[in-house]
Amino acid sequence: MIVASSKPFQEIKQMLSGFKKICVLGCGSCVTICHTGGEKQVTELAAQLRLSAKLEGGQIEVVEDSTLRQCEWEFVEDIKEIVKDCDAVLSIACGVGVQYMAERFPKIRVFPGVNTTFMGGPIEQGIFWERCAGCGNCILATTGGLCPVSRCAKSLLNGPCGGSQNGKCEVSQETPCVWNQIYDQLDTQQLLATMETIIPPKDWTTGMENHPRKMILEHLVMKKQIS
Amino acid sequence: MQNDKLKFKGGNEEAPCILACPIRQDARDYVQLIARGRFSEAFRLVRERNPLPSACGRICIHPCETKCRRNSTEAPIAIAWLKRFLGDNFSEETRERTTEKYPERIAIIGAGPAGLAAANDLALLGYSCTIFESNSTPGGMLRMGVPTYRLPRTAIDKDVEFIKKLGVEIKYNTTLGVDITFDSLKREGFSAIFIGVGLLESRTLNIEGVNLDGVLKGVSFLHEVNTKGNAKIGKNVLVIGGGAVAMDCARTALRLKPQKVSVACLESRKEMPTTDFEIEEAIHEGVALYNSVGPKRILGKDGKVSGLETLKVKYVFDEQKRFNPAFYEGSESVIEADTIILAIGQASNLSFLKGQEGIQVTRGGTIIVNPSTFRTTVHGVYAGGDIVLGRGTMTESMAQGKKAAIAIHNALRNTTLKDEEWSDKPAVPDLATSRIALIKKEQKQEMPAMMPLDKRLNSFDEVELGFPLDIAVREAQRCMNCGAGAFVDDNLCVGCLTCVRICPFEVPKIKKGDTTAYIDGDCQSCGLCIVECPAKAISFKTPLEDRGKDTLEAVFQEKFIQGIKPLIVNFYCQYSAYNEDKIDTLNNLLFFHVRRIGVLGLGKVDPSLYLKAFELGAHGVLVTACKDDTCHFCKEREWVERRTKFTTQLLSGLGMDTRRFKTHFISSQTGKEILGLAFKMVEELKDLPL
Ligand code: SF4
Ligand code: SF4
Ligand code: SF4
Ligand code: SF4
Repeated sequence: MIVASSKPFQEIKQMLSGFKKICVLGCGSCVTICHTGGEKQVTELAAQLRLSAKLEGGQIEVVEDSTLRQCEWEFVEDIKEIVKDCDAVLSIACGVGVQYMAERFPKIRVFPGVNTTFMGGPIEQGIFWERCAGCGNCILATTGGLCPVSRCAKSLLNGPCGGSQNGKCEVSQETPCVWNQIYDQLDTQQLLATMETIIPPKDWTTGMENHPRKMILEHLVMKKQIS
Repeated sequence: MQNDKLKFKGGNEEAPCILACPIRQDARDYVQLIARGRFSEAFRLVRERNPLPSACGRICIHPCETKCRRNSTEAPIAIAWLKRFLGDNFSEETRERTTEKYPERIAIIGAGPAGLAAANDLALLGYSCTIFESNSTPGGMLRMGVPTYRLPRTAIDKDVEFIKKLGVEIKYNTTLGVDITFDSLKREGFSAIFIGVGLLESRTLNIEGVNLDGVLKGVSFLHEVNTKGNAKIGKNVLVIGGGAVAMDCARTALRLKPQKVSVACLESRKEMPTTDFEIEEAIHEGVALYNSVGPKRILGKDGKVSGLETLKVKYVFDEQKRFNPAFYEGSESVIEADTIILAIGQASNLSFLKGQEGIQVTRGGTIIVNPSTFRTTVHGVYAGGDIVLGRGTMTESMAQGKKAAIAIHNALRNTTLKDEEWSDKPAVPDLATSRIALIKKEQKQEMPAMMPLDKRLNSFDEVELGFPLDIAVREAQRCMNCGAGAFVDDNLCVGCLTCVRICPFEVPKIKKGDTTAYIDGDCQSCGLCIVECPAKAISFKTPLEDRGKDTLEAVFQEKFIQGIKPLIVNFYCQYSAYNEDKIDTLNNLLFFHVRRIGVLGLGKVDPSLYLKAFELGAHGVLVTACKDDTCHFCKEREWVERRTKFTTQLLSGLGMDTRRFKTHFISSQTGKEILGLAFKMVEELKDLPL
């Protein structure tokens, strides 16, 4: 899932200063699950916005809503009536959702309420951790199923580096060294010999270096593709 | 029929206490209302289904308590005593009644539980009813049979007064078969006749000596004492029988001051067909108990009773669980007595049916009716209660009366009205063993004021003196709100597992193959998951539970509220306070500045509600939660602390002075501590720019 963290309220307040009618719009998918962009946060943010205006002697109107997924034109379409007469939309979906809104409603100012941060999951209730970097060329088959691209501070392909100490990463004592974990995992699987195979330099052009990336499923495309 | 029944959303499992009740009294919901200090509403809810609440709260054998799920943690909720508490202290005079009025008049024979219930419900349906009662007072067996020390007559009168207010007329000293007949009633224009008479005779034993002087019949004995205040007995009284009537006879006899009162019955102590409480009280008052003995013959001397020869019982019920007692041969022994009271069951007296051969009766002397229409074999004549059941409890008789009322209405109107409360619903299953350990044990409140023994035996005054307000609330707060807790809206749940992970009672589950969470009837109503669910997919089934929202809004409806400076909203836990919204312990200054919002457990309050309080105009929000030892749930403190931190962050993000939001954990929500905290906050906020 995509994990996003809340923006500081002061930043949000600054973005929205001057607007009189604001729609706070959540998304019912990843950001709901990571507790930063669901219905609950919509309620909380809306209350904060109203209260903040009140404290400053002003008044704003805040409309609260949420979509099933803000990265679908059809679902975004559903809230047309609601955002129609708003001066601004504060989207607390991930960056994808914010852009869908901005593209669908070009006349309305759309602002991001969260910082989209990484792809990961809750390793326990309330703690989310990055697990994938979207490199476009997955190597998990050779690393015991653990990703050094996203989980090693240096994205080393042939780790660990000399900084690995007692299972911890030299960059932060709170982070386990993933290469240490990979070693243990391969040991369990009696595949330690693979550690000796050097992974050649990776083709990074499938990754972040090659924006914007695109995927086309020919067998599902319904109309002529927009270029 | 007007029905104030609370409207529930989601789930169809019903609390076992409700399902166990013959009239499907909403036990859970009135208990929950008492727990919130909403007494008048609770009484209204009780009265809605129960025409005799004050009497019922005293003498019902409370199958609800037998089934209460608190039995598996320590002891059931004192449901009946709580009803009595309501009946004794509250009344409901202002109800709006149905405006429907039908022309038909209904005659009801007998002002006992069945007849009164039928009259009550028929009156509510819009019929004018007349009850014909052979005695000069109402209540039937309640008055004739039940001793006053268990059921003061004022309790019956209070209930009956209310039924009369519905327009029901009662004609006393009017006996069917003597003063009136079915024909005369039909001639008078009654469209239907309901026979709700009781079993007025005692069953007798077919043994040697039953005709000796000094052998009394239980029902007649009780009747005599109950109407005249006395009866002729000897010095050594023996009651034969092991049921409620036998206990009543024994305890009544004790109050007439013989030298000795004993009870002999076939059953072992465990098998006795009455409540433990009754047996214990009888023993406590001095009754000697002979269990597992059967009467062989009554011994006499000069035509007077001198004792009972007994046999030892092998078993009372045979392998098919039928009543079929067997005795040990040669096990004779004698219990001396100069008075023997037979309390081995009641029988009907059908003399009122003379000349009405069309009404079919059973060999046992009960009237035959169609169990769903309550029709007898004569057109227009219905029957219910003991005269149909043979032997029923007060509540079973009321249930018959209520069902008959609907049946009569359906027959007269040619409709198919159904009381949904009687429909079959699955019961919330017993607490899972693994969960019992997670639920806090809460001691059952004992009936606090029992009349001392020396006083009891000198009078027929009521022995149990009733729950005072605070004890009633404490007792009600033990209830787990079975089947009315949280539920998940499948359309909103995103399957995030938060509820599954955080519920302290491990109730929510995402079942294999499902995509959404499911919360079953074991939910304890702490509300933690409701607040934390990021999709706002969980809510309470019970409309009683607003988690503080409605109350908060109501506060700001108050006139001139915006002129109060500083205005403090105090969210407090009702588990250690009963005076909802009242600040009777707070002084004048605070009365002016503080508004209180009581919630059963603060774990169900959303941080956004605290923000809302500020938004509506509060200058300060004071959260007073309970200390761990008084908390009904577990983990509440932990969550209140987390949310305090979270709320403080939200507020300081807005640049708000954090002195305006405070949380304290205190041991009583009505004592001095809360007073001090509120006072301090008022003082502090006075100096802040608001
Ligand atoms: S210590 Fe481990 S995780 Fe950290 S940079 Fe080195 S190899 Fe990567
Ligand atoms: S705990 Fe409450 S709701 Fe549950 S069975 Fe007992 S009285 Fe009924
Ligand atoms: S917390 Fe809410 S969204 Fe998450 S699983 Fe439970 S009900 Fe569903
Ligand atoms: S309300 Fe409390 S007891 Fe009920 S499911 Fe939610 S967390 Fe569990």
